[in-house]
Amino acid sequence: MEITEKDVDGVAILSFSGSLDALTSPEATDYLEACISNGKNQIVADLAAVDFISSAGLRVVLTAMKQTRLAGGDFRLAALPDGVHKVIAMAGFTSILKIYDDAESASSSFRK
Amino acid sequence: MVNSYKMTRAAELEALPIFRDFLDSVCKEHGIGSEFRYDLKLAMDEACTNIITHGYAGMNPGSIMMEVQFQPSHIRLSITDFGLAFEPVETAAPDVNALLEDRVASGFGLYFIYQTMDEVEYRTTVDCNMLTLVKRRHAPDAA
Repeated sequence: MEITEKDVDGVAILSFSGSLDALTSPEATDYLEACISNGKNQIVADLAAVDFISSAGLRVVLTAMKQTRLAGGDFRLAALPDGVHKVIAMAGFTSILKIYDDAESASSSFRK
Repeated sequence: MVNSYKMTRAAELEALPIFRDFLDSVCKEHGIGSEFRYDLKLAMDEACTNIITHGYAGMNPGSIMMEVQFQPSHIRLSITDFGLAFEPVETAAPDVNALLEDRVASGFGLYFIYQTMDEVEYRTTVDCNMLTLVKRRHAPDAA
């Protein structure tokens, strides 16, 4: 798994690639916790290049949502591949988080 | 045509992507579509994660043996381990109306196995534990 980051008008856009499973999720959690503790609480996760997510990856998403919202921000998802979307939907997460077609829409949603 | 494939790896988290790639590759050879392949990989990954983190907890990791069998009507995944028995009992559906602060991220692994597979069977003997997952290639009423 790889994470690349860019900041657009105060929104951190994190592009994930590879798999979010029990092997890689601790690294993703560490990365997100470091972001949030550095004051970045408006975060977009661009998942276009994520080929697999399991329940371990969902824990990363849930933790990031809770932590950013506690800090007054939010954690939003963009560009979900079909398989990733299915897992997010099966878990019922579509009702508690905001999902966008692409990272740009997700990023600009913070300015509305 | 060969319709059975096997892979054995040490029960470590590093084996997860290796098992998934193997499963994906043999399914592609048999013309299995992407959504179906994702379901199989998800169920297998969740089962193996449980074995690695719970079945072999506190001991040196033993092995996980995976066998994939292609039948005209279904695909059968058999996952054998030699650790502690950890039966994947079906769990309740998550409460999709729960507020964010009430959500917990545990229990989804077993839930996903039961959501994506048509049959889940767990047997344990003095030697090993074997989980058998079956996914039908067609809906029963369409067969």
